[in-house]
Amino acid sequence: MTSLQWPDLPDLPALPPLPDFPGAAAQYVVAIPLLAALLAFLLGRTSSRTAAWTVVTGAVLTLGAATWQLYTISVGVVPRVSETVGPLALGELTVPLTLSASPLTAITAVAVALVALVVQVYARWYLWYDPRYRQFAATVSLFSGAMLLVVLSGDVVLTLVGWEVMGWCSYLLVGHISAKASARRAAAKALLVTRFADLGFVLGLVALTAGPGSTAIADIVDHWRAEPGTALTVAMLLVIMGVAGKSALVPFQDWLPDAMEGPTPASALIHAATMVAAGTVVLAQLFPLLQASDPARTTLAVLASATTLLAALLAFAQPDLKRLLAWSTVSQVALMLAALTAIPVGEGPDTAVLHLVSHALFKALLFLALGWLAVLAGGTLVSYAVSGVRRYGSVRRPLGIGLLALAGVPPLVGFVSKELILGSAEAGVQAATPGPALIVLAAVGAGAPLTAAYCMRAWLILSRPVLVRGNGRTGEQLDDFFAEPEVMVEAVGVEEAEAAISSPARAGITTLSLLTVVGGVLPLTPFFDVELHLNVPLLVASLLLMAAAALFVLAASRGVRTRDAAARLPAVLNLAAERGLGADTAYLTLVARPTMALARGVTWLDREVLDGYVRAAGRAARLLGRGGERWSPVQPAPSLVLVLAGVLVLAVIGVVLR
Amino acid sequence: MNDLLWPALALLPLLVTTLALAVADRTSSPPSEPLVRGLSVGSALLSAVGVVGTVLTGTGVDVVWIPALGVDLDLRADGISTPLVLLTAGVGIVATALRHTRPPVDRTEEDRTAPLVGQHGVPGLAAYHACLQLVLLGALVTFLSRDAIVFFVGFELVLLPMWLLVARHGDAHEAARRDGAALRFVLVTATGSTLMLLGILALSTLTGTTDVDRWAELAGASLSGREQLLVAVLLLVGLGLKVPVWPLHTWLPWVHSTAPTAGSVLLAAVLLKMGTYGIVRLVVPVVPEGFATASPVLAGLAVTGIVWAGLACLVERDLKRLIAWSSIAHLGFVVLALATGTETGLQAALFGNVAHGVIAALLFVVVGALKERWGSADLTVARAALREVTPRLGFALVVGMAASMGLPGLAGFWGELGAVYAAWAPAEDRTEGWFRLFAVVAAVGAVIAAAYAVRVLREVWAGDRLLPAIPDSHRVEGVLIGVLVVAVLVLGVYPSLLLDVTAADAAALLTGGVR
Repeated sequence: MTSLQWPDLPDLPALPPLPDFPGAAAQYVVAIPLLAALLAFLLGRTSSRTAAWTVVTGAVLTLGAATWQLYTISVGVVPRVSETVGPLALGELTVPLTLSASPLTAITAVAVALVALVVQVYARWYLWYDPRYRQFAATVSLFSGAMLLVVLSGDVVLTLVGWEVMGWCSYLLVGHISAKASARRAAAKALLVTRFADLGFVLGLVALTAGPGSTAIADIVDHWRAEPGTALTVAMLLVIMGVAGKSALVPFQDWLPDAMEGPTPASALIHAATMVAAGTVVLAQLFPLLQASDPARTTLAVLASATTLLAALLAFAQPDLKRLLAWSTVSQVALMLAALTAIPVGEGPDTAVLHLVSHALFKALLFLALGWLAVLAGGTLVSYAVSGVRRYGSVRRPLGIGLLALAGVPPLVGFVSKELILGSAEAGVQAATPGPALIVLAAVGAGAPLTAAYCMRAWLILSRPVLVRGNGRTGEQLDDFFAEPEVMVEAVGVEEAEAAISSPARAGITTLSLLTVVGGVLPLTPFFDVELHLNVPLLVASLLLMAAAALFVLAASRGVRTRDAAARLPAVLNLAAERGLGADTAYLTLVARPTMALARGVTWLDREVLDGYVRAAGRAARLLGRGGERWSPVQPAPSLVLVLAGVLVLAVIGVVLR
Repeated sequence: MNDLLWPALALLPLLVTTLALAVADRTSSPPSEPLVRGLSVGSALLSAVGVVGTVLTGTGVDVVWIPALGVDLDLRADGISTPLVLLTAGVGIVATALRHTRPPVDRTEEDRTAPLVGQHGVPGLAAYHACLQLVLLGALVTFLSRDAIVFFVGFELVLLPMWLLVARHGDAHEAARRDGAALRFVLVTATGSTLMLLGILALSTLTGTTDVDRWAELAGASLSGREQLLVAVLLLVGLGLKVPVWPLHTWLPWVHSTAPTAGSVLLAAVLLKMGTYGIVRLVVPVVPEGFATASPVLAGLAVTGIVWAGLACLVERDLKRLIAWSSIAHLGFVVLALATGTETGLQAALFGNVAHGVIAALLFVVVGALKERWGSADLTVARAALREVTPRLGFALVVGMAASMGLPGLAGFWGELGAVYAAWAPAEDRTEGWFRLFAVVAAVGAVIAAAYAVRVLREVWAGDRLLPAIPDSHRVEGVLIGVLVVAVLVLGVYPSLLLDVTAADAAALLTGGVR
């Protein structure tokens, strides 16, 4: 094994000094999207155009502020801690409510802001005729603001605020088409599953806070580093429970594929840069504490590794390409969290955050491009999407780049971030406590060919040659004067595809494609401090495995009409995969039904037992009072006068006694 | 004499209007609806100006009233009571401005098609507004008073008009239910008041004064441990009936499901607060040892109530009763925070108290408007989705339910988070293990809150039904709802607004003595 020091790029050239803005960049990054959401909601009441301008302007300004922040941090402008609405006067507890920016969080913020901008632009096209575009755009803006708050938070209370607001926004976005029963159900499920897991998150943060008596992340890290032990382990396990909910780890994984009911821009936002990635961000902020507690690390490693493999397997068998992408998100996010546990003690969480940024780019690209295709082809089910990129040539490049990056093919950004994770896991195995790293190494090693397999499957379906079209030009046929030549058909497809989308939305997709291709240089930038654990045999082995898996899928797809390799699987397996292995039923049986039964029991007890005493007392009082009923006033006004007279009498007594 | 100006402006309009309306109601030709409502709103506005003046100038009344009993008419606002008097004044305007329509009755099959909305000319409208005014007066006296006896007078002043509102102007579906609600209300609150009076009298005999500031200074020094516990239990049971704390809560859903909208708003936003305020004033600083002894039990009951009421919300059929149940859960958080005995807990409780007042007012205004349009609040009846037919009311319901589940950025969050934290790290003299368990249970209760919020939104707000169509909020409702939504948002985004007001006095309260 060779260990190289990754060469840093030379320092950025010194730009002319920026004008002195009041306040810190982080404050702008968080405040602008929140304000834009409010303004869009208030101003856009009569016109979607106003709302669109507001949110897009907000998103551009946010991206500008995030970039400015990245720049100031890279040139070493130190005041990175900035205030918000705090500190709060909460007695013994110190709640400073500060934001704090580091190179890692700053670059994450840029990625989030970029994806949010592209999604906003895209949504204006995608929801052009939606009467609730205003609400959607405002919610997306609020959502990205909440995510940026989590990313830049220097205080666990702010983290919790952003975390919960994101959960709520996901409810609104997933249930956007609220007239649809399945969307309502998916929205409720997303909120309830994540909120249930947040039980652990809230208690974990409270337990962490109770140690130093302060909610500042810096204080918490300092305090618990000095005294690790059972208390820290319990708190971290609770936090991990919350993270597992938001990031859709086993056993909370099932809400995320269902969240596909939301409009495509919402899916892109939830899956790429916000919500599911929040868990990685929070654990990266609490990274020293995760490393200080081996049980917590091992638990997370096991959960994340199991999830990444399971989700990759399920992704392969999905009959709907959008759900395939959803399961691939589950798999990739679990990979980030697994990376956190595998990093050798003493190193920073850079590789995990790098994968977060890389995943944000290519996953947003994939979702938006697939949404484009869905508009053209009428859906994302295999039967609709088949031959998609042949018929509509314009979506070929973005989808191809996205799938290659997802599969981890060099030199795209997905390859770089995955290989770095593999490398750091390999290094982690050499460390003192190799347990988590070993599990993760195995999972990443097994996950790479699986990912390649489902990406290959999707590509084979999408790029199947157009078999029959019009009057059947394939095979032997007389030359028909009216049949359009192949070239014409393709040209018409491209024209249709380009006419369907707005040029800003298309520019957003192109930007993401470009960044996915060149993003591989990210670890060379000074924002990432990546220890390069280069292991050439390991790298070659993983690439070979991926190639073998892809070839296997290619072989399996031969002879299937749609070139769908998953069609070779038994129908039972396909059905089970589509239903997420019955996790939904398990949630209902294990949690929902017992809770409802308990609720019915409680109301029965309340009515028959607790209220019974009150009723009995009431009857007794009635009986006693019946005798005196004749003299008691039954008209309201006289009794009111009597009360006042009583007050008057009391007052007079007071004066007299004096 | 200048000092008297603002407090007099706060209280006298209410008193005068009560008398005027009560008399007017008895005349052969009662005044018209606009006149009565205008007078009532005007008086509430004047009183609100007076309250704001009193708070800003820090003036107050201090006259010896019954020297033989040592009772002073000492009305002042400090950090603890300021948020509550402002809440009372604000909610008072909301309650009086809401139009009171003829209470719904059981209708026969033939007149099912008759329009529901716009039935005016309610009999006894003047008396109805007189009751509202009197409730406000009593609440203000309760919150402003620094003398336990005057506090009690204010406390009692509220009961009868409230009973009248429920019994006479409430929902007339199935008369027996209205009767049952009024009976429960009067029975429970009268019992509570009696116990509280016993506690107050015991304290005044043991300390020789009824001045609550003096009580706080003494901090139970002249009482033995057993006496402290006895007084604490008497007062806690009495006030607990009012709050209400589990298992003394069964009256609240009944009363709320029956009371007219304004009555529900006042009950939830103001009357319940009198219970928690009473605990803060009369128990926490006055008998600290007794309270500490009783606090694990109190906290246990509070968290039981949180989960119990939350579960009830999951299966409750009547939307108004459901909101009432959620009130029980929220006040459970307030009581839990108080029981921890820390400054964090006290601050969280004072914040949660006011936050719940605003949220409950919003929810009851919305649900009351819906009930008026629907003819009942039964959730099992298929209705048009609010998001489709009444977007404004629907939006208000979404904000209300989100605040109710403790969503950050809205008012409900800070009180609940503070309560859970305070329970996790209680005061030195509390048993930490038990309180940590309570913190876990309370957090479970917060999850259940999300579940019932989702349930309500799924059944009422989202959906594809467009019929039967109902009108959206009219102008007055729209303005009131708008103001309450803004209040919920502002308290949620900038909690220091409230926390800074209460901080100094809350700290003083726990360290003994006043600021």
